[in-house]
Amino acid sequence: MIGVYDFNGHYEWTFAWLEAEGGPPLLREYWDVAIHQDSQSHAAELIRQKGFAGMQEYWGHTLNQEGGTHATTATESVFRIDMHDCPSKGFLMRNQLQQHRDYCDHCIGWIGPLLRRAGFVIDHQHNHCGQCWWEMRRATDAAPPSRPGEVTGARDVRLRPDWKPKGAALDTYSRANDPASKHSQQE
Amino acid sequence: MDSPLPYRDRRPQGAADFYFAINATFRFIQDRLGLAGLRRYWTDLGTTYFAPVATSWKQRGLAGVAAYWRAFFAAEPGAEVEVTESPSVVTLNVKVCPAIRHLREHHRQIAPTFCQHCYFVSEAMARPAGLTVRIAGGNGSCCQTFARRNDSTPTQDLTQIEEAG
Repeated sequence: MIGVYDFNGHYEWTFAWLEAEGGPPLLREYWDVAIHQDSQSHAAELIRQKGFAGMQEYWGHTLNQEGGTHATTATESVFRIDMHDCPSKGFLMRNQLQQHRDYCDHCIGWIGPLLRRAGFVIDHQHNHCGQCWWEMRRATDAAPPSRPGEVTGARDVRLRPDWKPKGAALDTYSRANDPASKHSQQE
Repeated sequence: MDSPLPYRDRRPQGAADFYFAINATFRFIQDRLGLAGLRRYWTDLGTTYFAPVATSWKQRGLAGVAAYWRAFFAAEPGAEVEVTESPSVVTLNVKVCPAIRHLREHHRQIAPTFCQHCYFVSEAMARPAGLTVRIAGGNGSCCQTFARRNDSTPTQDLTQIEEAG
């Protein structure tokens, strides 16, 4: 049997397997069809029905179940997540597991299409070290991403001294819904 | 003593909602690549990702098999499994499969071939260790038997593994 205690390990391994089978298009289809529309159909339903309140309800439950250290902030115009210690990326790093070039892309791989259907866009950065931030806004809202500390105060992950580790690449998504639309910057 | 599990987490048990993703992954691969593709995925997973388990079983034999599955099911939320060992065989009496249980509790459509993954993944882990597995039952409870591989061992009859649903 394959189980959930090491789920992130075989999940990440599966990304590389699928990409070897069918290239990036098959992997992106997997994140959209299998994860967004099937596995996480409960998240899709909540967010389509309730918008920001559904995001709070979904991520409040799932991030607590998975562990890790994070903060969520909801206003009338933005839902923000600051991930300080990603439980799944942390599992991979502690166990030295890496088959796929960027595990972190899987989040926008399924959340991006979900939010597109629900009418939202995403600003997001991840540093490949278990820290990232997300801001979800209505697609009709042209506001830029917040400045560090503006929405979440001291809990903003961008204020961490290790947010931009030397040698690490900082990946950025701007008003995105597509995992292929990132910009990568080496620090 | 080191854990028999090859990978370690900070929590004693995994998050049960990940069974949703495992089930969805099987369905997606079978839809796109067919049943043969899904079985190849399971075999590749057992051969490569779980290679450290095969190495441990090769070193420790059936005692390693029993230790692995005891630790494994202790880390799976909702599992009710009895592991017994003799000099020639290790038997897993899966009274409550944690995956099927969680999927049913949340009214998820279960991939009909779900239970076959236990055979294909475990057989890929057992083969390099000179072992083999046979499974009877499924769809929530089953019996899995690990023994030394020899030429007289009958092949797994896949009709003995129930469709899930």
